[in-house]
This record gives sequence, structure tokens and C-alpha cells, in this order.
Amino acid sequence: MNQDKPRIGVYVCMCGSNIAGTVDVPAVVEASKKLKNVVLVRYNKYTCAGPGQTGIKEDIKAHNLNRVVISACSPRMHERTWRTMLAEAGMNPYLLEVANLREQCSWAHPAGDMTTQKAIDLVAAAVERVSWHNPLFPRRVPVTKSALIVGAGIAGIQAALDIAKAGVPVYLVEREPSIGGHMAQLDKTFPTLDCSACILSPKMVDVGSHPNITLLSYSEIEKVEGFIGNFTVTVRRKARFVDETVCTSCDDCTAVCPVQVPAEFDLGLAERKAIYRPFAQAVPSAFRIDKRGPAPCKNTCPAGIHVQGYVALIGEGRFKEAYDLICEQMPFPGVCGRVCHHPCEAACRRGDKDQPVAIEFLKRFAADWVTAHPEATAPPPATAKPVERPLQGHRVAVVGAGPAGLTVARDVAQMGADCDVYESLPVAGGMMAVGIPRYRLPADALQREIETIISTPGVNLLLNTPVQLEGESKSGPSLASLQRDCNAVFIGVGAHQGMHMGVPGEDLKGVLHGAEYLRQLNLAQLGVKGLKTPNVGSHVVVIGGGNVAIDSAMTAKRLGADKVTVLYRRTRAEMPANDWEIEEAEEEAIEFHFLASPIEFRGKKGKLAAIHAQRMELGEPDESGRRRPVPIEGDTFELDADTVIVAIGQRLGQSLGEVEQSRRSWIETDPVTLQTSRPGVFAGGDAVSGPASVVEAGGAAHRAVESIRRYLLGEELAEGRSAEPADISDIDYYDPESWALTARQEMPRREVEARCGFNEVSLGFTEEQAIAEARRCLSCGICSECLACSNVCGAGAINHDAQDELIDIDVGAIIVASGFDPWDPTPMLEYGYGVYPEVYTGLEIERLSNASGPTSGEIVMRSGEKPKRVAILHCIGSRDEHYQPYCSRICCMYSLKLAHLIEEKTHAEVFNFYMDMRSFGKGYEEFYERVQREGVVFVRGRAAQVSPDGDRLIVRAEDTDLGRPVNLPVDMVILATAAVPSKGSAELAQKLHVTRDATGFFLEAHPKLRPVDSNTDGIFVAGACQAPRDIPDTVAHAGAAASQALGLLSQEFVEVVPTVAEVRTLHCVGCGLCVEVCPFSAPSLVESRGRMVAEINEALCKGCGLCVAGCRGKAISLRGFNDTQILTQLEALLQLSPATCA
Amino acid sequence: MSENVFQPKIVAFLCNWCSYAGADLAGTSRTQYPPNVRIIRVPCSGRVDPLFALKAFQDGADGVMVLGCHPGDCHYQQGNYFAQRRYALMHRLLEFTGVESERLFVDWISASEGKKFAQVVTDFTERVRALGPVPIKRQTPALQEVSA
Repeated sequence: MNQDKPRIGVYVCMCGSNIAGTVDVPAVVEASKKLKNVVLVRYNKYTCAGPGQTGIKEDIKAHNLNRVVISACSPRMHERTWRTMLAEAGMNPYLLEVANLREQCSWAHPAGDMTTQKAIDLVAAAVERVSWHNPLFPRRVPVTKSALIVGAGIAGIQAALDIAKAGVPVYLVEREPSIGGHMAQLDKTFPTLDCSACILSPKMVDVGSHPNITLLSYSEIEKVEGFIGNFTVTVRRKARFVDETVCTSCDDCTAVCPVQVPAEFDLGLAERKAIYRPFAQAVPSAFRIDKRGPAPCKNTCPAGIHVQGYVALIGEGRFKEAYDLICEQMPFPGVCGRVCHHPCEAACRRGDKDQPVAIEFLKRFAADWVTAHPEATAPPPATAKPVERPLQGHRVAVVGAGPAGLTVARDVAQMGADCDVYESLPVAGGMMAVGIPRYRLPADALQREIETIISTPGVNLLLNTPVQLEGESKSGPSLASLQRDCNAVFIGVGAHQGMHMGVPGEDLKGVLHGAEYLRQLNLAQLGVKGLKTPNVGSHVVVIGGGNVAIDSAMTAKRLGADKVTVLYRRTRAEMPANDWEIEEAEEEAIEFHFLASPIEFRGKKGKLAAIHAQRMELGEPDESGRRRPVPIEGDTFELDADTVIVAIGQRLGQSLGEVEQSRRSWIETDPVTLQTSRPGVFAGGDAVSGPASVVEAGGAAHRAVESIRRYLLGEELAEGRSAEPADISDIDYYDPESWALTARQEMPRREVEARCGFNEVSLGFTEEQAIAEARRCLSCGICSECLACSNVCGAGAINHDAQDELIDIDVGAIIVASGFDPWDPTPMLEYGYGVYPEVYTGLEIERLSNASGPTSGEIVMRSGEKPKRVAILHCIGSRDEHYQPYCSRICCMYSLKLAHLIEEKTHAEVFNFYMDMRSFGKGYEEFYERVQREGVVFVRGRAAQVSPDGDRLIVRAEDTDLGRPVNLPVDMVILATAAVPSKGSAELAQKLHVTRDATGFFLEAHPKLRPVDSNTDGIFVAGACQAPRDIPDTVAHAGAAASQALGLLSQEFVEVVPTVAEVRTLHCVGCGLCVEVCPFSAPSLVESRGRMVAEINEALCKGCGLCVAGCRGKAISLRGFNDTQILTQLEALLQLSPATCA
Repeated sequence: MSENVFQPKIVAFLCNWCSYAGADLAGTSRTQYPPNVRIIRVPCSGRVDPLFALKAFQDGADGVMVLGCHPGDCHYQQGNYFAQRRYALMHRLLEFTGVESERLFVDWISASEGKKFAQVVTDFTERVRALGPVPIKRQTPALQEVSA
């Protein structure tokens, strides 16, 4: 409690008649005189005015007042004024209480006893409350002398220049790649018809070059903390992928970019590339890549091939570039284009619409095209970038020349290492050479790609050179000797040993094993000396359901078998073979016998004669998720066969000694680095994963190469890497608005009858097919990552791996200048926007009329012809209770301007359908008269409907002046749409903790007197984000906001409200609840006399009182709003207070 | 209003940033609502100790309103969420004490929702009027001095 007995002066304001007209002021005065501790009661006509204030100051001295109650307007209006007055009279300014008799009493209620009684209660409550006030002393904190402006349209630009001119640093944050806002899109400006760009561009250039302005384009506000004079703003600098400081704006990149999407700046009336600059005068002038993220195809590809990129290049007819791009990640485009299981196509988003893009076939097409066009296969043009060879001087050994081993060899050699590739077989290629049958993958297609790899400088292929993986070898290389001689070893020996069934008779003549059978067949066909094509009988049974089983069956047919049966222990649904391979087998009359498994191979004279098989049924699912086959007790049968090919899987079949292997013999590696249990020895491919695909081997190779690079350079192997592909679930992929349902191109294939021998079955796309198929791509990521721009950028400004960056900026003031958006009139179906092509919005016509727009300034219809008659419909979405109730203020005038421009450029008849013409500004009415004189027709009445009539449109309206309906045929309709708060305003308001009005525009602190202050001190609003306004008003408003901000920033200190929380340590039990509830981390637990108690950091406390209400022991109170103050106020309001009975 | 109509006493706790400004806007726009409501300004709806509501009923209030910023709009980031949770529990406590839970009303009013404020107050006043006087025997106000 205060030391002195309260001596309270009560002042009741009449506010002219604003209060006195409704509240019986003399009655309030009389009632107040009876209140406890009240020394003096007076009433004033205007308490806020000079004489009113002077009187109070005199009373304070004369009557020795130590508390003051002013019963007047809302404290949000004049509390500051009167606090200053108290300070001038020598009192502590916080010994004041304002009773809200105007906004919350006299203005809201009718004259009468009840209203007067409410006023009396409010004064009594204020008197009671003020008795408990203590002197408070605001903290003074220094002001950070800089400002941040959100949004760089004309308002933000103006405010930035004004503040910068005063010598104060400004951070100008713009979410778009260029500053300029909507003004940059306009053609001419009313009423003077200045060219918008001509008056805006110089200001934009000034912003770009002003030493006091830091321009943060393509950036967004992430978080705002702090308070007036001391804000910390976290800004997200979105990845632009082009270094603004390096880009020379030469525009070479857009010429090579294969991706086109509608240009936002031209409202979709023109297209732009994925790398672009919104408009020629953009500031900064640097380009930007519109990249949503890795496309699902690329992200799914185990080898990380730039799928969308090469598809886009093929769509542009740039086949060699596509081939080169594929080769960056996949040295076997022709192989992979034929045998890949293409998980990319399952991920393709086109598949959600009709059918996925035929990615695999396109890859094959690129490879085949390059083979067929040797003249086009000159090496790619030398780029400005020097080739990095960080591994120079290192030697890497690769064991096994399969897809994994060869990819590793090529990649490490390209980085400068010497690489010896050891292969035990007489041919290179691993399973590609000896596993895949030739009708699927012709020998020359494979051989070409192997030769390209082994011709890479540094790659040294040693055929017929097995490496002994366990122990030392006397005759040849061993893993141990390679580790001694080389800096790193990669093991990619594959899985070449066919698994045995382990049933009686497996050693009979006529029982073959899939892997060995295919290897012998392929080696013989490749012309390896001493190897014959394996013999198959006339009735072949293949055991198994995988791709090797299918390949074995189809090759057996080609080798002359009359009947080939695939015996599989589950059903077709569980077959691991690719669907399309099973279908091909069916086409070629391969028979399938499901739910059966051999239990014995029966022979005659040591030669297979029949298979004794067990029938199965499906049981519970196993760990692979497929239903387990269970034998049906006693149900066996016999199947005649002279050849059996067992194709039930393969294994590594070798022991690696010290290198750890799994139970099933696969090499154990770290999933992230692929390093084995022996440091410096890496492994990948089938030998690690079990039988898989070429593309997966390629993926493992990339992973191993990165590990080998890090290992050789002494870097941390696993840092920043993950075994999983990137999470793309949050990426907002591009969805083109216009796409046509188009079937996928069919792969031309050899007729079944013509499939004799080992001729390739699939024949490949034609150029036309490839281009048509590639153009079905939806460009999910927009940027296809074809890297063509990187290759042509002479300045080296492009970085496709750029990441968003978060930066913290300390500022003293913030100006919100986030502007407006033209309203999208699609919901007003009666006007047919988006349905009838000749219905436009005003901003679209601005772009058409603009000399740098899509039609170079011609106002023409989509047909290219000039319109003969045009209707401009006013108030679309404005002054309409179903949409925006308010007048958007700019539409009348821009409609007049467009009418003038259309009349001038096309000589069309122009009709304006308006409700009221609002030409309020300087020169506006004169402009209206001028346009009328030019012959533009004005029909008073809101248009009701636009409907089609042949090639034209009919506008229906009522001419309210003449009281007649109008049906006007026109060629073009222009909708003057409402102005609404720009997209994202709600989120911005939440981040800034400022309020918006009912229509979503930012709310000013006072509609007349504080038009640029927000309700949060230190944050100002400028321009059309506060309400729709035209350019002159926006510039003036922005200037006002700048001057308010400068006023704040010119102070050395600001006072921070002293109404913060305090702890009465004796009452605190140290529960820590206050620490938990505080959003600002103001309370903390500290030790005091051997126990933990709460302590409030006043600098952090914002005075919300959350901890006070939460405190279990009532140990925390809030200065100015403590429990006593609120409860006594409550009692007084309910007329229970002792004050009323004094 | 005629003499025999029950005039409920209603106390409203309004947060300084949204609802209090909304109430001011109602007045500035001359939007009328019943004068039965008495407003107490608090920094945040999260400052309103449930005790305040109990005390108000004990002191003879027939209805209590707690109005704060809309979710996400709190000037102090989360205060209104705390208010919401506290008053969800309070409603059950009130039933337990014999006071109809409808007499405690929590809602969100932004600074621009003057009309909504007037509407909410009018509706609440009518609901409380229909309920009649609070069923608590008025206690003698013997508020002990709680501040040091």
C-alpha cells in the first residue's frame, strides 16, 4: 500500500455533448463526491484540451492531489496525454485512472438512468482502483537506429527512400524476386497518363543503389520478436539458385532453359522459363530459378538421374544434351533404358492424371539417338568451370566390372584417381553381360557403353583376373594385396551363384541353375572361346517366380524347347518378376503352374525324366508381406520334364574372410557410407543388397564414390548424409492449369511371330514419339535440373544446390507495406471469368496495353484481332455484401483510364457499366469529363450477367437512369475487380502481432489521427495494405509512415511500460509453473536462501499476466493490474465497494 | 426498459489489444447494446484468474464475460489459449457450485469487430436475463488486503 493516504481528484468530461448528451454529468459528479478518498470532483467541457489540462495541473498543486481519475473517452485515446500532464504537474504519471464514459458508455447506450448509473459505477470503480495504484517508473531502453520494411511495392519503396534519405539504415524485404509490386505491372497511370514504369523505375534503381538500403528480395518474414525500438526480425532468404551479386543479367540462361510455365507477372497471358526475371526493369536484375524441389521421379530414382531434366530436353528435341545429362548419373543410359524396373514411373505425378510418362523408354531413345547420330556426339562445349580433380594421385581398386564397379571406376577416374578394375570373367559388364538375355539387351548397346567407361583416362580394366577375397593369394591379386597397393577398394562382385533347392535328384543331368545357365548362354553368344550354348530339351520346366526365372523360360523357348512351364510355389500376384516381363512371357506362350514346388527330381539312367511336386496353398504373410506357401498334406503330383532350370535366387557364394558378411552371405556395410567392416574397403551392388537392378547398382556406386572421395581426402564419411531419399511430402509441386488427357506413347515391339532368335523385342521410340511423350511431363519441380543454365552461365552465378537462409536483423521500427491483390472474380459465375476467354480483369488489360507486355502493347482479343466493342464492368466484388462490402476506391479511375487507352489504341466503342462514379482526387473529375468527351459511353447500372452469343458476349444490365434493360453485344468484357489484402496478410499480421480490420486490411491505431500507426508500438502501416488506395495516396501514406518511423528512430531511448510482473519471494514455492507458461522466458528459477524461487527478468517481461493468473501461491503480481486492483474495481462495479459507502 | 424487467449485472473482462478495442469501436460506431455490462480492462485474457469470475458471482454478478483475441492473434502469442483452457475447466466448476455454466461466457473479439462485440453482449445479456438472478446468497464484501 502507498505511504500517503490517497487524495483523489475526479474529473468528469462532458466531451461537448458526446458524453453530456447521454449521461447526466451533474449526477455523476454528485455521486462521485460521496466516494471514499475523493477530495475534489469537477467537470470539464473538454478535459483533453489545454484549459482542461491546465485546471487539473493547478488543482493537483492547490489541493495536494496524489491520485487523479479522469472520466472521459477511452484510455486508448488520451491516457498518454494525461499521463504527460501528470508528469508536468510533478506527479508520477501512473497514478492516473481513466474511466471510459464515452466509447463504452455514452456512445453505446441511450440516454437514461441506466446509462448514468453505469457511468457512476465506472467512476466508482476507477476511484477504487486508483487508490491502489503505486508510482511506477518506466524502463528506458536504447533505440536500434534502423528500420525494416515489409513489401517493396511503391509504398515500401517510397518509405525506404524517405528513411534512407534521413541517413537511417533500412532493410527492405520483398517476397517476390523483384521489387515494384503491382505498380510495375501497370501501363499508364490516371489521370495524367504517365507511363507507370517510367515514373517507378528510377525509384527502383535508387532503392537498388542507395547505400542505406539493404534490399532483401525474394525473402519473407519468418519471425518477429522484441518491442518498440528493439525488434529482432528473422528473415527467410529463399533460395534463388542464382547469386544476385554475380549474375550479370546477360539472359543467356533463359535461351537454353527447356521448361516453360505461365508468367505470373503477365498473369498467365505469356510464358516464361523456369529460370527467369519477372520483367526487364526488375531490381535486382538478377535472374531466379523457379524450383519447387526435386521432382518425384528424380527423388525416387536410386541413381538420382536428373529425370525431369532429360525429359524436358527431349521434349525440346535436344537429344544429345539429354543423353549427356543422363550420363552424369548413369553411365549406362542404353542399358538402363531397356532393363530398368523404373520406380520413377510409379512416382510420376502424370500417373495420377492419366498414365505416367514413359521415362525408361525416353532414356533408351536418347541413347539410341546418340548412337545413330555420331555426327552430333561431339563432346559438350567446354564450360568456364575448371574440371576439379581432387583425387589426383590416389589409386582405387575395383573388384568386379558390373554396373556398380564400372560406375565407381568412371566416377573416381573423372575425379583424377587411377582405377584398376578386376574382373574374373572374360567380359566386362557383370550381370548386364552374363545375366540379361540378348533379346532384351543387345550386345552392341551394352558394349558401347562399357567402352565409353573404360576409355575414361585413369580406368584400367583387367579381365580374367579374379581377386581372392579371403586370405593371401600366391598367383594373383587378393583383397589384402589390393589394400596394400591402393588407397581404397570397392567390392562389387555381384551375386552370380544360383541357389540350389536341396531336393533329391538336383545333380541329375538336365537339372540346370538359372544364373549359371544364363551366364553360359550369354558368354557363348558373346563369342567366348570354349563355351557352348547350353542344351535344353523339348519340355523345360523353370522353377521360380523372379526375373531370372522368366528370362530362363523365354531363352529356353528361343533355344528350341517345345513347351516351357514356369513352376512357382505361390500365385501370380506374389511373383517378384516385373509385370511387363511376365506379360511378355505369356505372349510367347510360356505356361505357368502356380502353387506347386518340387520335392524330388526323378531321373532315368542319370537323366532327368520328371518332377515330383508338392501342391501348396497360401498361408499367413511372411516378413516380405507376401503370403507364405504352405504344403497341402499328401497332395503331390508328377510333371514330365527333360530339362529343369532352377531359378530361385542367387547368392554371393564367396567368403570374404575378415570382412563381415550376413547370415545369407551378403557383405555387411554401413547403410550411409557403404564402408565394410574394414576401413577403406567399400562395397555395393548385388553383393551387398542381394539381386537387384542396374539403377540400384548405380545408386550404390554414387554412394560409395562419395565415401571414397571423403575417405581419400580425410573427411568425415557420414556427415550430412542419409540412407533415405529426401522427404518430398511437403513440396508444393507445380500443377499446370492446362493439360490435355493424352495416352502414353506405345513402345513399338517386334511381333511375337518374328521373335525368333535373340533379336531385340522392343524397337525404341521414333523422334516424334519421343518428343510427344516427353511433352506429357508436368514439370513437377518447374526447374527440371537439366543444368543447361549452369553450363552456359559464363559468370558462374548458378548454384542448383542453394538452400534457404535465415538471417536475424535488429531494427527499431517496422513498416508494413504488403499492399493489395486484385480480387479473383472466378466465384462470380455470372460474369464467366475463366470460362469465356474474352472476359478479362483490369490488371490483365494493363499487361496487354503495356508495351513490354505479352502483346507488345496491342489491346487485342485472344484471336489477335482488335475488339470492336468493349464493356468495362465496375464494382466487381466491391460494394457487394456477398464479397467485399467496401468501395475499392481505385476501380472507377482505372476503368476510365482503360476506357481511354482502349478507345485510343483500338478505336473500339467502349461502354462503362457503373454504379456511382467516384472521381474524387485532384484532376480526376476533369479526367472523367475528358473520357466522356472522347465518346466513351457510360451506363448507370451494375451489369447482371455476361453470356455467350456466337463469337461475341452479351452484357445484360439495367440502365437505371432510363429505367430500361440493356442487352449489349460486345467483343471483350473487362472486370474492374475489387482490391483485397495481399495474399499472406493474415500470417504476416500474426507474426507481427498487429491487428487487421474486418475486411482483412491492416488496422490503423486511429482512423483519423493515427492513420499510419498500428496498435503495436513501433510498427507502422503504409499504403494499400491498410486500405485500397491509389498511387498518389499510397506515396503520401508511405511518406507519413516513414516520418513516424523516423520520429521514433530519432530518439535515443524509448520508455518501456513498467506494468510488468514481480515476485514476492516469501510466497513463492518454486513450482516453476510461471516458467512453463511464459511465452517470453521472463521467469526463471533461482536459488534464494537455500531454495528455488522464481525471478522475473523485467527486460523480457511483456506484462501479459499469464504467470500471475497461473501462480498457485499468488506469489506473482502484475504492476498496475494486481489482484487487489482488479478485485476492488470489480466490487465497485457491482456497487459493493467500501468506497461507495464512505 | 420497464421497472419490472430483471436487469442483470454483467461483468466483462476484456483484453486490452483486441476486445477492449472492439468495444471502443462499437461505441465509436454508435452500435447500441444493453448498459448492463461493466467492462474491466486487462492486459490479456490470460491474465483473468478464474478466481475473478468466482469472486464476481460471489459479489452478485449475474453473468461474467471473458473476451480475448482470436486464436493466433494474441498480442502475447499464447495468452488466449491459456484462457480458453482455464475456462473450459471453470464451466464444470461452476456447475458444481450451483451456478449455471452459461453465466460464464468466453469468446474472441478482434479490434475490428465492434458489431460482433455489441451482438455478443446483447445476446449474453438476454440469456442471463432469462436465467434470472445468480443463485448465490450475496456475501459481505470483506476483501482482505492482498497486496503488500
